[in-house]
This record gives sequence, structure tokens and C-alpha cells, in this order.
Amino acid sequence: MRALRWLLVPIVVVPVVLLLLHGFSRDPAAIPSALIGKPMPSFSLVTLDGRTVTAVKLRGRPVVLNFWASWCPSCVDEHAALLDAAQRYGTSVLIVGVLYQDTPDGARSFEARYGEPSWPTLLDPNGSLAIDFGVSGPPESYVIDANGIVRYKQFGPLTEQVIADQVGRMLGSATAGRGD
Amino acid sequence: MLPDLGHAAIVAGLALSVYATVAFVIAARRRDSAMLASARRAVYVSCGLAALAAAAMVVLLLTHDFSVLYVARNNATTTPPFFSVISLWAALEGSILFWTLLLTGWASLVIWRNRHRHAVLLPWAGATLAAISTFFFAVMTWPGNPFTRVTPVATEGPGPNALLQNHPFMALHPPLLYLGYTGLAVPFAFGVAALITRRTDEEWLGIVRRWTLIPWIFLTLGITAGAWWSYAVLGWGGYWGWDPVENAALLPWLTATAFIHSSMVAERRGSLRIWTSALVIATFTLTLLGTFLTRSGVIESVHSFTESAIGPWFLAAIAISLTGSLGLLVWRLPDLVGSERPAAAVSRESAFLFNNVLFLGITFGVLFGTLYPLAVQAVSGDTVSVGAPWFNLVNAPLFLLLLFLMGVGPALPWGAASWGSIRDRLGLPVIAGVVGVVIALAAGMRGPAPLATIGFALFVVTILGDELIRGTRSRARSRGEAPPLAAWRLATRNRRRYGGYLVHAGICVMAVAIAISATQGQDATATLRPGQTMQVGGYTLTYQRLVQGPLPDDPQVMETRAEVAFSGRQSGRLATALRNYPSSTTPIATPSVQTSLGEDLYVTLQSYDPATSTVTLHVLVNPLVVWIWIGGAVVGIGAVFAIWPDRRRVAVAVRAPASDAPEGTRVRRPEPMPEAAATAVRVEEA
Repeated sequence: MRALRWLLVPIVVVPVVLLLLHGFSRDPAAIPSALIGKPMPSFSLVTLDGRTVTAVKLRGRPVVLNFWASWCPSCVDEHAALLDAAQRYGTSVLIVGVLYQDTPDGARSFEARYGEPSWPTLLDPNGSLAIDFGVSGPPESYVIDANGIVRYKQFGPLTEQVIADQVGRMLGSATAGRGD
Repeated sequence: MLPDLGHAAIVAGLALSVYATVAFVIAARRRDSAMLASARRAVYVSCGLAALAAAAMVVLLLTHDFSVLYVARNNATTTPPFFSVISLWAALEGSILFWTLLLTGWASLVIWRNRHRHAVLLPWAGATLAAISTFFFAVMTWPGNPFTRVTPVATEGPGPNALLQNHPFMALHPPLLYLGYTGLAVPFAFGVAALITRRTDEEWLGIVRRWTLIPWIFLTLGITAGAWWSYAVLGWGGYWGWDPVENAALLPWLTATAFIHSSMVAERRGSLRIWTSALVIATFTLTLLGTFLTRSGVIESVHSFTESAIGPWFLAAIAISLTGSLGLLVWRLPDLVGSERPAAAVSRESAFLFNNVLFLGITFGVLFGTLYPLAVQAVSGDTVSVGAPWFNLVNAPLFLLLLFLMGVGPALPWGAASWGSIRDRLGLPVIAGVVGVVIALAAGMRGPAPLATIGFALFVVTILGDELIRGTRSRARSRGEAPPLAAWRLATRNRRRYGGYLVHAGICVMAVAIAISATQGQDATATLRPGQTMQVGGYTLTYQRLVQGPLPDDPQVMETRAEVAFSGRQSGRLATALRNYPSSTTPIATPSVQTSLGEDLYVTLQSYDPATSTVTLHVLVNPLVVWIWIGGAVVGIGAVFAIWPDRRRVAVAVRAPASDAPEGTRVRRPEPMPEAAATAVRVEEA
């Protein structure tokens, strides 16, 4: 009986710890997106260099849609990962930046400083695209498949690993699909 | 330079906290007073180092030094100084730094105040507090370093979280909460010390009574200020949404309140000791749990800080403190049982016991609802959420019973109550409650919860008033004092009791205000062109024009204001706005709240069309909301009154409380208590 009362400690502690531990195993991008599995919102926006891009034009290739800003510190690291991805995947993947609460001048000086991208950056002056996607703050990215369906949301900076996982899988399955 | 200084201060603080922990333990085991003095100094210096690091961070924020990641993420060159300073606690790493400052501050204060006393308990309490400080310094040294540098350095930052810069209350609400949270480590430390040293008698309860009430006051005011902030800023017209983080603040408040009540019984009767020790452990663990929930990203909430690597550290801290303190409790169980005396079924003891059962029931309910989504996901993988209606349904009856007990408790005598005395005490209050319900019914109020709240609140207030009048009369008669003077002397000579009554009266005011504002409000939404009017709850609102422009003190922020004239029980003009912050996609509402004692007119701008100047307004008429804040202030005043130092105490300490003479004749301690306990407690209080 005396020994049994020591059981009280594990009986209380173990479930509490297991339950809270489970919290970590959840997707770290804690805020789920309602858009996953749905077509991306339609839009028509102008890029930094003055061209117009619409949602429909992006069909046919996987797209990495990256919301960023020049004032966002973790966007700097992310920019390097994106430059690397652009080189690695070439034209098989389309990277599209979306400027988030920032000025075109800010964006240009950022790009001049950290590496001129090969991909376009869309101006979203009213933040309407960010609102449609439900962006909570930069950097935040969406991976969209060749049919325009949103497949993945990255909350926080993209890393080479995440791009390789998400885009690589999509390219892999596209090849497999063609093989059938 | 400055970031290095801050970081060095933290590392030195960590080293000193480790040293203090070890030195306190050695001092306790060897009864080494030189070692004890050295450990105490280490705690004081660790507090100074935490202050130095916090000051460094404030300067970095004020000078917009974006080479520090924390500043780069939470500041902009245009951020006004006031908001730069309070950004110290606006995000994760800074808030832990601030937290550590407060924790070491409490530790230093309690150790300094007791430096010549409690030679047995203090070293162990000091060791516990230093161990907790060690944890927080370690978090800042490794996973949550507030002085992490970033290269290359940005020229501009996003500014603080938009919701935090929207209202000066943000300067008040988190510090109050943190003062409460961190202060509750003190009773925990003394509880642990009592268990280790097997001094589970009244000594530690005497020490921690005030050291629990002070953090409790801060926690109470912090929760109230948070509700007020939510009401004034978030624009939904409510003040409490059972959000996980609100619950995280409420949980330790519930157990701390239960502890305050059960410790009175433990101190007086020597009973409920296991229970009281368990409550102090639960309270501290719940403060850790609250921090964990807020800062690990485990539970989704509007309050959550961005997730970080500190989650596992906090989980480890919860596991260690829970295992350690529960193990200690089980180990000392034989010491804790034995002095229990069964209480009569109808007595003040049993009222306290029921009070504790109810508080614990509410704690479990809130905890269950908060963690249930996590548990369901763990078991079945489904995503569920537990909404406000569930919490209201589960907790409303328990809160109502508590309200009822709040009246019954003071009316019952210690020991056993006779039917005659119960009838004598409760007759008038019951009539008052029933009359209140009848009047409310006649005024058109429906629904069991608000009616019961009014009835019970009147019942309680009548009992409290009756107690005061009886005491005053008896004192006025025996001393020949004028009634107002007699009432004042009675209250100031029995601070604990009458302060407690004032707290209860404040809770009654809050309860009625909450019950009525939550159920009897009116609201309407309308889309208006300039010149159009809308009507709600006896008010007529005329929308006049739309004004847009940057905020004068922060040009990065664009404000769109709708100017509205209103008339009804209040009249005048108001402006309700939406603000666009660079760090937020969604515009932040700045509701206009026109407050009167009877009701608030609450107007939120939901959306606008700049082309046509059309606006959509959400208008609420919220009755009695201001009384929630007034009630909260009364609770705070009552608690401060209860713990206010009594200067006459020292002079009278020698005089033994001889008898159960009428109140007021004994200066020090109003209520009869066992001789030994009285002596033990008296010494502590100087």
C-alpha cells in the first residue's frame, strides 16, 4: 500500500507529458490553410518590371508562390534558398514572388543586395492577394501544382529541404503520371 | 557592444543562479550561515543582471538597432518610443527576459525580507527559486536568446505586432499578468521547502499568505485588464472568449484562489494540509503550463507567440517540477495526515471545503476544454475546437454555486452551526435575493443564469453588509464610538476579514455585470452612405463622413475613420476606425466605446468603400460593462486592504489573544485561532 502511492506520480505526470508532447508532433505550420486541395484564388497583378501576370497564366507547371518583404529578416535566408532552387529546377518550376506590405523601391534594393532573381515579383498594393491566400505575415509560401491546385503551405521561410520535398515530389509524380 | 553586454549578463545570471541553487542546498544541509549569505547575494546579483539585460534590450529597441533579430522583427524606425519600450514583452524572447527579471525580483525581495528569519525554511525556498531562475536564464542562453544577431542588417523593420500597438493598455496587461505568474513561484518555493524540511505546520502558510495574495492581486488585475484590452481593441464587443491563453491565465488564478481559502483552514485548524500543498504545486505547474501553451505553438490562439524551440524546454520543466513536487508530496504524506479533525457538515470549514471542490471543478472544466482538442487529435486525429458555449454551460452553474457559498461561508460559524443561528443570519439575505429576482423579472429579464446571478449576488451583499453592521453596532456600543468611526476601526483592526468581504463584494458586482452584459445586450449591423441613420437599443446613429490619413505619431500606419453622430441616453459624436499596419494584412479595428454607468455604446467600423464613402458599422449596446472594471478595481482594493501592513501589530504582538471577546478588542488577529499558530504567524508579519 505504501509503495502503491508512489504510482500517483507517474499516473499524473505521464499522461500530461504525453499529451503535451503530442502537440509537437503536429504540423509545425500550426495555422492550417483552407486552400489546400482547392484551386488557387484568381488574380491579375503587375510585376516589378511592369508585366501583367494572371492566375491562369501560371498553369502547366508547379508554382512556388512566395510572399515576402524587404523588411523581413528571414526573407534574406529564404532568398538564397530560392535562388538555389531556381538554378536547380530551371524552367520545370515557376517561382513567383509577391511583395507584401512593401514598396517597389524597397524590393529593388533588396534584390540588388541579395541577388537578382530570375523570377518575377508581383506587386500587391492593396494586399488583396495576401488576403485571398490568408497570409499572416512574410515569409509565407504556397506550392501549387500544374493544374492550379494549392498543395502545400509553408509558414515561415522556405528552405532547400522543403522545396526539394514539395517540388521534387510534384515533379516526380508528374513524371510518373506521364509514364503511365 | 550592447547586445554582447546583454548576452553576457544573461550567461552570468545563469552561472549565478546555478551557484545560488547549489549554495542554498549546501547551506541548508550544513547550516552554514556564511554560505547562506553568499547564496542570497547571488540571487540579488542575478536580479541585477536580468535588469541589466532588460535595460540593454530597451535601449536597442529605442535606438532601432536592427542588427539584433528581436529588434528587427518587432520594431520599425517609425515606432513611437512608448511602443518601442513595451515591445520588451511584445514577443517571445523579450517576454522571457522580462519574465526572468520579475522572477528574480520576487526571489530577491522575499529572500531579503526574510534574511533574518526562518533559518530552516528559507534556504530550501531559496534553492527552489534559484532553480526556477536557472531554468529561465538557460532558456535565454540557448533556445530563446533575445540578443541573437542578424546579418546583413536591415534598414527598416515591420514594427511591433499591430494589435499590441493599438492600445496603451498593452503596457499594463502583460506586466500585471507576469507579476502574478512569477510571484506565484514564491508560495510554491515555500511549499516545497516545508515538505523537504517536514515543517508542514502553520509556519510556511503564515509566510506565504501575503506572498500569495500580492501575486494574486496582480493576476486578478492582469486578467481584468486583459479583458478590458480585448473589449477596447478587438472590436467584437466582448471581453472574454475562453481562448486557450485566457484560460491559461485563469487556471492558476482558480487554484491560487482555492489555495488562499484552503490555507485559512489549514492555518486555523491544522487540517487540509495535503490539499493545501497540492494546490500550491498545481498553481505553479499551471503557470508553467500557461507559458508553455502561449509560447510553444501547440495550441492555436490569437495570443500565441510565433513558435520556437523553447517548447520542449518548457515541457521538460513541467515534467521535472511536477514529478519532483508530487514525489515530495507522496514522500511526506505520513507527515501531512493525522492532524485532520472532521468538520461539522454545516460549518465554515465545510463551506471552505465546498468552495475548494467548486474551484477545482472549474479548474478541471477549463483545463479539459483547453486540452481536449489536443487530446482528440492525439487519439483520433480529428481537429475539433471547444467553443465559448461549452465553457459557459459547464462553468456557469459552478460559478453560481460559488457565488452562493460566498455568502453562506461568512455567515456560518467555525465549528458547528445551529439552526437558530443560520435562520437568524440568512433570513434577511434570502428575502433580499428573492426580491431582487422578482424585480428583475418584472423589468423583463429572462433566463435562469442572469436571474440566479442577481439573486445570489444580492444575497451575498446583504450578508456582507449585515456582518459589517452587526460588528459596527457591537463595537459602537462597547466602545462608545460613533458608527462611522466604529466601522472604520472595526475594518482596519480586522483587515483580513473585511478586506476579504470587500473582495467578495467586488466579485458580486462583476458577476452581475457579466451576467447582464452577456445576455441583455442589443446589436445591429448596417451599411450606410453619408447622411444615413441607423437605430439600435434606443440610440440613433447618423453616419457623417469618411476620413483617411496616416497616424500623426506613426506615419507608417494608415487610419480610415468613420465619423458618426449619435443620440439617445448619451449623445455626441464619435469616430470609429480601421488601421492598416505594415506588419499586418488584415486591418485592425479601433472601436469607439461610449461609456456610461448604465451601458456602453460600442461602434466598430467593419468595412468601407473609399469610392462611395459607404461604411458598414456594427453597433452594440452593452449594459453595465463598466461595472466589470469597477468590480475588478474593488476586488483589487479589497485585497490590498486585507494585506495592508498594520503598524500597531508589533506593539501588540506580546499581548496574547486571550478570549473570544467582541471584535475590535483584539488588535492583531480578529478571529480566534490556536495559540501555537497565532504565535508562529505573528512573528512573520513585521
